[in-house]
Amino acid sequence: MAEATPVQIFHMEEKRRQYRSGGFFLKVGLLALFVLVPFLFPSFKTVDLAMQIIMFATLVASFDILLGYTGILSFGHGMFFGIGAYCVAFLVGKYGTPSYANLALGFVIAALVASVLAIVISFLSLRVKAIFFAMITLAIAELAIVLATKLSGFTGGEDGISLNMPGILAVSFSAGNFLGLEITGRILTYYFILLACLGLFLAMLRFTHSPLGRVLQAIRDNVERAEALGYKTFIFQAISITFGCVVAALVGGLYGMWVGYVNPESCLGVLSIMLAILLMCIIGGMGTLYGGIVGAAFFMITETFLPDLQHLAKDFFPSAVFLHNVLERWHLVLGVLFILVVIFFPKGIIGSVREFIDRRK
Amino acid sequence: MEETIFKRWSRELTIAGAIVLFLLPLIGIPGKTYITLTIAGLAMGMLLFLVASGVSIIFGLMDVLNFAHGALFAWGAYVGFTVFGYLMKWVEADSVLQNFAAFSLAIVAAMVVVALVGIVLERVIVRRVYGSHLFQILITFGATIVLVELIRVFWGPNDEVMTVPLTFSRNWDIMDVIINRYRVICIVVGLVVYGVIQLILKKTKLGMIVRAGVEDRDMVQAMGHNIFLLFTGVFAAGAALAALGGLAMSIFSLQVYPDMGGSFLLFAFIVVIIGGLGSITGSLVGALIVGLTYNYVAYLVPWAAAGANIMIMIIILLIRPTGLFSVGK
Repeated sequence: MAEATPVQIFHMEEKRRQYRSGGFFLKVGLLALFVLVPFLFPSFKTVDLAMQIIMFATLVASFDILLGYTGILSFGHGMFFGIGAYCVAFLVGKYGTPSYANLALGFVIAALVASVLAIVISFLSLRVKAIFFAMITLAIAELAIVLATKLSGFTGGEDGISLNMPGILAVSFSAGNFLGLEITGRILTYYFILLACLGLFLAMLRFTHSPLGRVLQAIRDNVERAEALGYKTFIFQAISITFGCVVAALVGGLYGMWVGYVNPESCLGVLSIMLAILLMCIIGGMGTLYGGIVGAAFFMITETFLPDLQHLAKDFFPSAVFLHNVLERWHLVLGVLFILVVIFFPKGIIGSVREFIDRRK
Repeated sequence: MEETIFKRWSRELTIAGAIVLFLLPLIGIPGKTYITLTIAGLAMGMLLFLVASGVSIIFGLMDVLNFAHGALFAWGAYVGFTVFGYLMKWVEADSVLQNFAAFSLAIVAAMVVVALVGIVLERVIVRRVYGSHLFQILITFGATIVLVELIRVFWGPNDEVMTVPLTFSRNWDIMDVIINRYRVICIVVGLVVYGVIQLILKKTKLGMIVRAGVEDRDMVQAMGHNIFLLFTGVFAAGAALAALGGLAMSIFSLQVYPDMGGSFLLFAFIVVIIGGLGSITGSLVGALIVGLTYNYVAYLVPWAAAGANIMIMIIILLIRPTGLFSVGK
């Protein structure tokens, strides 16, 4: 047998360790936790929280493909998310009856629209400089909000669109009790979305660990060098952007299914969705995909329990005015945290923890 | 032959084409309305120029894309709002002199305060990430979040009504064409700022160093100039311009609100992409194009106003990917 190349050795090492490392058990444990959430904490609030974490983790991972693996910052990721939500909403809400075929068609259309738009934006902006991408996506995302609001005949305007789910996914559906939990359409939707997100996440892992993913990382680290090695950097970047955006659109469709309602503010908003994605990605750690889970969990949990925290602070520390003010202006804290993370821990929580573990070894 | 004609007359052809394009809306708009719209468009263009020139020159010299420019813009508006609050008597007085005094004081205060904010921003945050576009965008975006939240802390989260100095809000009536005075003031302010920037850049030693820095940063450093001091200065100047733009815009639109920078930053980006990053003249031309188009289209097809500028940006990106007046890099 010929001498193995360093990459092959690395792969073999990785394969041997794959099912034995602590990280693997952690991931399986996390998945099991998400599967069991409806049984362990059947309240609406916790199930909703878990669902939001799952969807945003997948969304942030798709953003990470652009930011962490390709080195391209997009401010239009929230827009692709919204496009997905709107496509599904059109098919099962405004222009079609709720049926499985329409639901599936909605997702297909979402993926098609997202991929076409992503390719067009890549062709427009990447020819010049990667930073143009940030500016142009920001402009187009704002345009999308304006269009969604102004063309109210087509999109429902500010009022948005309500979605109705077909068959066993409908809110009114019930399949009796199982282990003390009533299996409603909501619970089935939860598992459907969990499964879909898991599939998307695995697809993204496959994407980033493929030879293509390696080329992307090479481009991110040194464009000139990758070009000199003969890779058409533009094509690779366009592929990666398209893939990330399609995943975002699909997650958007799932989000529409779960929330049952889409409007410009909640689905397309640069300041609402996009800001959340960016914060989650940076704080969780970019370039890891798993950072999205940590970031989304951190962000969503604080967001959900922030009012409780504020009450708690007022009850237990009535004199600590500073603490009240800090909790009152939570976004300020997040902004400062964001800047500090970018300066001191550019790899985010996951990256820093990994570095720490590697150093201890 | 054709090619040589185009080459020889390229400049004149471009100007003629531009003039034709901007007279084109006359088909759909009555003459008097056209003049009013043109003045409104020029005024808006000048305000955009104030913001875009800062973005452009900061990028040209420092290679930093400043996403916090929109927040600085909002800060300028709020500082001006506070000054107007203190000088309410002068603002509401029916005297051109007192109105102008209040207006100038507000401008000076806004520019000084925001320039200081800009210096802090550059020294504390932006300096750490020179050289990496990605981190610059991320960190200035983080700065935007913090600055906008600070506005909410200092001035409260609600929209506030901005008072227009009384004599500014009146109209001139020239041959039945209604011309708002404040719009003319905006145009004058924009032209003065453009003139001053050009004078500084072209005629002074400082301007020469800045221009050299845009061309080749390392060489300027090698010649013994403290480029980092220069960076701080240019960043502060850009911030001050944004503040001026913000104040002027808030009087224009009669309101201040914490998120006001966002949509304007977007316009500024469209302007610098059209005009070419790093060029002051490009910013002016781009800003006027955007301002005029916005007003014409908003009159003809109201819902398409925001889209028209993005369409222009896309067309220009297709023809000249580096913008109309691109600089070296």
